Formats: sequence, C-alpha cells, structure tokens
Amino acid sequence: MAKILIPTPLRQFTAGKDTVEVSGATVGDCLEALTAQHADLRKNLYNDEGKLRSFVNVYLNDEDIRYLGKTGTAAKDSDTISIVPSIAGGR
Amino acid sequence: MIRIEKQAWDTMVAHARECYPRECCGAMLGVEENGVRLVKAARPMRNAFEGAQEDTYQLDPAEQLAVEKEARAQSFSVLGIFHSHPDCDAYFSKRDLQNSCPWYSFVVLSIQKGEFHHANSFLPNFEQTEAKQEPLEY
Ligand SMILES: [Zn+2]
Repeated sequence: MAKILIPTPLRQFTAGKDTVEVSGATVGDCLEALTAQHADLRKNLYNDEGKLRSFVNVYLNDEDIRYLGKTGTAAKDSDTISIVPSIAGGR
Repeated sequence: MIRIEKQAWDTMVAHARECYPRECCGAMLGVEENGVRLVKAARPMRNAFEGAQEDTYQLDPAEQLAVEKEARAQSFSVLGIFHSHPDCDAYFSKRDLQNSCPWYSFVVLSIQKGEFHHANSFLPNFEQTEAKQEPLEY
C-alpha cells in the first residue's frame, strides 16, 4: 500500500486522518482509490470532467509527477504521495 | 470569517515590510471552529518567482510540504496564504485568482511606501473564476 499525505485543510474529509493508505499500480489509481474511500474529497481534487484540478500538483516522494509519468507514474508500496496546491499571483 | 491573532499578524506585517518593494508570501496556521478560521501562527515563506518580484509571488512546493509538516506537528491546519501588494491596494487580482486554491483564505496586505496600509481576505471558488471577500479581523 502506498501512503498518501492528506493536506491539513482536507483532513475534514478524511475523518481527521493525516495519511491514508491505498492500493494502486499508478499514482492515478492511488488517487482514485483515495477518493473512492473518501467521496467528499473528490470535488477538491477533480473537476467535473474527472480531471485533476489545475491547482492540484502531486508529488511521488519528492518528485513532481509532471516530470515523471504524470498520473501514469508507477506507485510502489514504500512510496509516499503528497498533494501540493500550486499557488502564485501577481498584479 | 478569519481572525488573526496579534503575534501572527505582527509576523505577517513584519515580513511584508521586510520584502518591500517586492511581494512577500507566507502561510497562516491555526484552527477552524464553528466556521471561524483562527490564525495562531504565521510562517513567512520564500517568494520563489524567478523574475521581477515587485508584482509577482510564487510559493515553493518543497517549502509548502515543510509547512504542512510543521502544521501537523502542532495539530494546526494551514488555513490560508498571505501575500503583499507593494504600493497597491489589497485586491485579489486576476492572476491571484487564476493561481489560487479554494482550500485556503487568501489575505492580501497593502504596503504603501514601506508601511502597512490595509488588508483584505478572499475565498476563491473551485473553478478559480470568482473570489468572495471574507470578513477579516486582526
Ligand atoms: Zn496579489
């Protein structure tokens, strides 16, 4: 089982849990499994078309999956998946 | 609504003044109770934007992960993100909105001629097309 770290503002949707263990062959499968277990999380991570929202960046251990195989990146049992919102701004 | 405790607020203003005339950024940590976000600690963060920082800020993902870890250790949540607008009003700009996240309150501090002038807080929607102003106390 890979471990997904739940960002603190989303813990309210995982019954207060900091980490959720999920099975999945890829990072995408793991995130699907997470939102299958905790349905209220889904809206926070996916848009109406079922795609990850544009501000949702996902890290496998310390690497941004955009630079690996995106949601198709293979996930191992020892892996930690982190969800980090992409935030910036300017005038 | 969002209420920022004095010590946290002082940290935010000090960081915004230090970074002037560049934009500063950081995280607000605390607890949420009965719909009130109570900020108990502010954590200055690095502006990771590689370019003119007078009108742009960007968070560093590695630092965001570190802040999440600190929040967990203190049983806090990351409730919001703050940034400054040097010599400009505390509004939520189009680029602020398009690069926001609905999980957080976004507090904007207006710093005019190097001194704190006023601040506002905003709650962006999931589509990043609209942000509601949120009552702010500090
Ligand atoms: Zn801004």
